[in-house]
Amino acid sequence: MSFAATAYVIRAEMAKTLRIYFAYPIIMVYWAIFPVLWVFPFLFQGKAMVGSTTSAAFQQLTGSGNYMAFVLIGAMVSNFVFSGLWGVGNSLREETYWGTMEYIIASPTHPLVVLIGKTLAEAAVTTCIVTMQATTISLLPFDISFTVAKVLPVMLLVVLLMVGFYGFAIAFAGFTLLIKEVHGWVHTLEWVFFLFSPIRYPVQVNPIASFVSVLIPLTWALVAIRGIILLNRRAVGLWRISGILLAMDAALLVGGYFTFVALERKTRRDGTVGMH
Amino acid sequence: MTDAGPEQANADTRPLDHSTTWPLFFRLRHYATAVWAENIKEWKLELTYPLDFLRSLVDPVVYLLPYVFYGIALVGGRFSPNLQKLVGTTDIVSFITIGYVFIGFMNMALWAMGFSLRKEQMYGTLEPVFAAPVPRWVFTMGMSMHSILHQFLMILVQLLFILAAFSLKVNPLGLLPSLAMIGLMLVALYGIGMIMASTTLIFKQGWLISEALGSLLMVVTPIAYPLAVLPVFMQKAALAVPTTYGILAARHFLMGEEMGFSVLTAFMRVAVLCVVWVVFGLVIFTAIDKSTRRSGTLSHY
Repeated sequence: MSFAATAYVIRAEMAKTLRIYFAYPIIMVYWAIFPVLWVFPFLFQGKAMVGSTTSAAFQQLTGSGNYMAFVLIGAMVSNFVFSGLWGVGNSLREETYWGTMEYIIASPTHPLVVLIGKTLAEAAVTTCIVTMQATTISLLPFDISFTVAKVLPVMLLVVLLMVGFYGFAIAFAGFTLLIKEVHGWVHTLEWVFFLFSPIRYPVQVNPIASFVSVLIPLTWALVAIRGIILLNRRAVGLWRISGILLAMDAALLVGGYFTFVALERKTRRDGTVGMH
Repeated sequence: MTDAGPEQANADTRPLDHSTTWPLFFRLRHYATAVWAENIKEWKLELTYPLDFLRSLVDPVVYLLPYVFYGIALVGGRFSPNLQKLVGTTDIVSFITIGYVFIGFMNMALWAMGFSLRKEQMYGTLEPVFAAPVPRWVFTMGMSMHSILHQFLMILVQLLFILAAFSLKVNPLGLLPSLAMIGLMLVALYGIGMIMASTTLIFKQGWLISEALGSLLMVVTPIAYPLAVLPVFMQKAALAVPTTYGILAARHFLMGEEMGFSVLTAFMRVAVLCVVWVVFGLVIFTAIDKSTRRSGTLSHY
């Protein structure tokens, strides 16, 4: 396929994915509001355990005693990861449910190109949602402010985080072709991220979680983003962490590509594409 | 047809479920058979994906740990003097674990039952299931039976892990009264599950309703915190939710948490909630089922 034809397919897939999104507009409202609502139990848990909005123990671990701001930033950034996991990782399974999977496989387009279209649509929607969340949160009394000087390096980190993560999500999409029922696996992965990266708690509190977290790009991105937003440490470690994320991106993109191609080929050879 | 007589009209509106004319005992036996068949069908479907089944047993442990670690990070250890002031117990690990173990039943009502009809629709089997000669609520009851059994298995794994990793300090004598309260809570949750299942018929993307309601209930239910830390309006809303009483009573019996009301009051309130939620659930389900069939949108996506 020529480059122009590939670009056309990507654009068509993006348009299709966005059209499906907007067919259920309530989903957008849901994603804009509820991830922030999920944070409230942590606020109440904090109030019950320490009796105030700051914690000395938390400050020792993270540099900031403002545990609410810690959890809110985790919730916002993890949105990118989880929407990628659901929107890209689970997307081929959805095509199976809709009865359109065979058409995609039989079309003269590589399924990877279709996945790139889905990925771009997903990234656009998530960016809009997180922007809405950030605006809402900055208006609430959580001591979180988003200035341009903070937002620009944060955007760089988010892009670096997502490039690698979409590589992982593409590999996961290949996995769905193989094992079919992945709804539960996506949930488990979601919770593995909650457990082994500092989305909701500082992983230093447990040695195993702390050790595993080093292998997850989200950990590096969250540490740097919180440093910028909460501790005003803009320059410290930004380039070092960007370098680490770039290396992880390269590994995840290459690994994701080859995993997807291998699993897709195996599924075709086994003749199990149309199976549920 | 205008020339159809009254008999013909009656025949058209007569329920397909002819078992409604049977004596009560035979009717109940007939329904019980259908509930069991639905339960077995769900187990067969679940065990078709053995890896997924194993994962579902490990999941609850993974769900629980971030909340426990978050509590430890906040306090800087396992014991919280502030919690002691609020509810008379200091051990945050036992407090959070018991809360999360029992909230799993709420997910059962919202997800397993709520998503059940959408799943049948995806499989293309909703219409055959609805054409079966039993009332629709029997179908959702079969779904809930499978979910309850599954949930008990998950709780067992969760408790075994927590007992091995942290020494959970609970009063073993509190187990039976806790289970009695949980049993009552399950009846009330069945009512909520019925509402969830029926909303799928209208909104199709039922997961959204389950997620939204689940998120709201997770906030107002005192899972990892006592009722006292919630704003007043949330405290009032929490009193209409069966899981509030289930969790508070379980923690009261197992670790001596002060509930703020007597045990008898807790049982009475849950009994009232059972009646209210089940009746409300059945009425909503029947109304939506009838409306969907009348408008011919049952098979819409």
